[in-house]
Amino acid sequence: MKGSTSRFKVILLFVLTAVLVLAGCSSSASKEEKKDKDGKETIRFATWDNEDTLNLQQKMVDDFNAQNDKIKVVLEGYGADYDTKIAAGMGAKDAPDVMYMWNYPLYKDALEPLDSYIENEGEEYKNNFYDALWNYNKTDDKMLGLPVGYTTHVVYYNKALFDEKGLEYPQAGWTWNDLQEAAKKLTDKSKKITGFAFSGQPDPYDFEMYLWSNGASFVDKDGNLDGNVNSAKSIEVFNMFQGMLKDGIAITTEGSGSTEMKSGNVAMFVNGAWSLGSLTEAGIDYGVVELPKFENGQNVSIVSSSGISMSKDSKHKEAAFEFMQYWTGEEANKARIEFELPVLKSLVESEQLTQDPVKSVFYSMLEKSDGYTPTSYIVEDWTTVADDLSLVFEQIFNPSTLMDPKKVLNEVVK
Amino acid sequence: MIKKTRPQKYNLVNKKVPYLFILPWMIGFVVFTLGPLVFSLIMSLFDWPVTSSPTFVGFGNYIKMFTDDPQFYKSISITFKFALVFVPLNLIIALVLALLITQSVKGIKIFRTIFYLPTVVSGVAISIIWGWIFNSEYGILNYLFSFIGIEGPKWLIDPKWAIITIVIASAWGVGTMMLIFYTDIKSIPRDIYEAAAIDGAGPLRQFFYITIPSITPTILFNVITSVIGALQQLTLVLLLTGGGPLKSTYFYGLFVYNNAFKHHKLGYASANAWFMFIVILLLTLLIFKSSSAWVFYENEVKKEGGKK
Repeated sequence: MKGSTSRFKVILLFVLTAVLVLAGCSSSASKEEKKDKDGKETIRFATWDNEDTLNLQQKMVDDFNAQNDKIKVVLEGYGADYDTKIAAGMGAKDAPDVMYMWNYPLYKDALEPLDSYIENEGEEYKNNFYDALWNYNKTDDKMLGLPVGYTTHVVYYNKALFDEKGLEYPQAGWTWNDLQEAAKKLTDKSKKITGFAFSGQPDPYDFEMYLWSNGASFVDKDGNLDGNVNSAKSIEVFNMFQGMLKDGIAITTEGSGSTEMKSGNVAMFVNGAWSLGSLTEAGIDYGVVELPKFENGQNVSIVSSSGISMSKDSKHKEAAFEFMQYWTGEEANKARIEFELPVLKSLVESEQLTQDPVKSVFYSMLEKSDGYTPTSYIVEDWTTVADDLSLVFEQIFNPSTLMDPKKVLNEVVK
Repeated sequence: MIKKTRPQKYNLVNKKVPYLFILPWMIGFVVFTLGPLVFSLIMSLFDWPVTSSPTFVGFGNYIKMFTDDPQFYKSISITFKFALVFVPLNLIIALVLALLITQSVKGIKIFRTIFYLPTVVSGVAISIIWGWIFNSEYGILNYLFSFIGIEGPKWLIDPKWAIITIVIASAWGVGTMMLIFYTDIKSIPRDIYEAAAIDGAGPLRQFFYITIPSITPTILFNVITSVIGALQQLTLVLLLTGGGPLKSTYFYGLFVYNNAFKHHKLGYASANAWFMFIVILLLTLLIFKSSSAWVFYENEVKKEGGKK
């Protein structure tokens, strides 16, 4: 008898301890919902940045906290695991109050629509942002984020290699034929120099801009691939890129191509503003120019935009929006200017960025790129579509397959 | 004081103090291992998108997995192909290295450290390093090949080579297994070898008739852990190839990971993970069953010897 009671006690003790530990976890979570000791509302703010830019963000958050006696913002740097972590947070209904965002269609169900907040601020507030950027920060006609930064895609070219061959630097308004001509002249097998480089596994999201430039797209507005991604105009684009590989005037790269560009063995490649700093650091004397056009088209770029969104489960929506305004305000845009292209027209004007030989290119591309909607915003299951397309792109561009674009594109639409 | 009258076998349950000592581990097990395990089993019965609420689908995820997902079968076959090459290769390399570091050579401690070093490096760093080495245009490996007039394969671009690339990069982490072999080989009594040498057995004969039979329990352990490791391989493919080129390295682990965190199908991914769990469980059981035929434990042999 006695034996069984003490056995029971042991089990009870065990269960009690487990309950206490678990309760400890949950009570610390619920504490955050209330105001903390000094009566401030705590806002959790998640960012994907790391290292230098994270330090800058921490400084900006500290500034905000110092100015503000009602709100306290805690910066959470998730780095490379960003998507996994916010997805887990959303699943557990414990998402950060404010978070960086770019893939709105994927997360739309967990984000707070901001239309009413933006309306309260008035027309002028809204108009100060570029229209093209608002389009990238909404889905299903709901504003889900405030624009923070963006980059369009441009052609980077190595000035030294152009000089060596006595070629003129490319100018805005050039065509893909011009690019191929240049690439042919720049390619020098004996020195292992290639005229042009592009990714062998291009991100379908980015690649759609080339289709747009030729008057095609992956899907129509109802989300049908058939008749769009395999249209004659679309196939023409793939044929052209594949042709450059077959002619030996271009190579495919394992990444974006910036590694190859840094080595000085590639004369041109396409990328967003991400390569500006690293190419300068690598000592490459480069220039940037607008994307080329197709014969009868207009050059268009995809906009890789970033914004900040509010979790729909946030307990402090007013405070969160106040912080979001600070984060997207003129002062903050200016603080980030070294890392991020400002998104406010007023600041672009006062900083004279449209006069800047490098940065102005990104702005002129932005203005040309208004009014295009990426497929990821149209179809429901973009990640699956993107996977399928990605495989097809590889079949077309992988040097060991180089499959006929027409054939594989006709297959993928089935 | 009450005299000890209770039978001995109750003692373990009646004593509280030992339980208090292991309580932290028991809690850790329940909260961080058993809890998630059970939770993922429940999840696998739901359609569970991350951003909205789950709906119950019963065995729907399992049925979809077996009947309506060609990638599932492809990933399984890729993973098993990998395991088939990787496990034997890994064992042989580990054993050879272990033999090498048991030799009494000058500076053997340095070699021992060097061979073990890659194990200490994190998988992420290994992926980055191998990414550089295998880069087909500018990689070190193909650069070295170019000296002897060979144009190296496009390691990470050619689907035929990519899986071999993963095997090579995985074999890099062989240090732990080597160390386990090493300690076991060290513990084989010297006199057995001396006796064999006197009887005229050469080094090769000694290896196959003394070393190998003596370390079969360790081989069993290493086979099991490396089979499990091979079937769960994720870090390298995630970071080195991303499943490419042309999905030739789309391992099962990556398949599960992408279903969960890229396509946000948590329920489906849990079902995938449970399937692999059961496969691994069965495989491990199978290996254990087979072990009676080829694994010799010292006390077993002694007993049998006594009978004769």
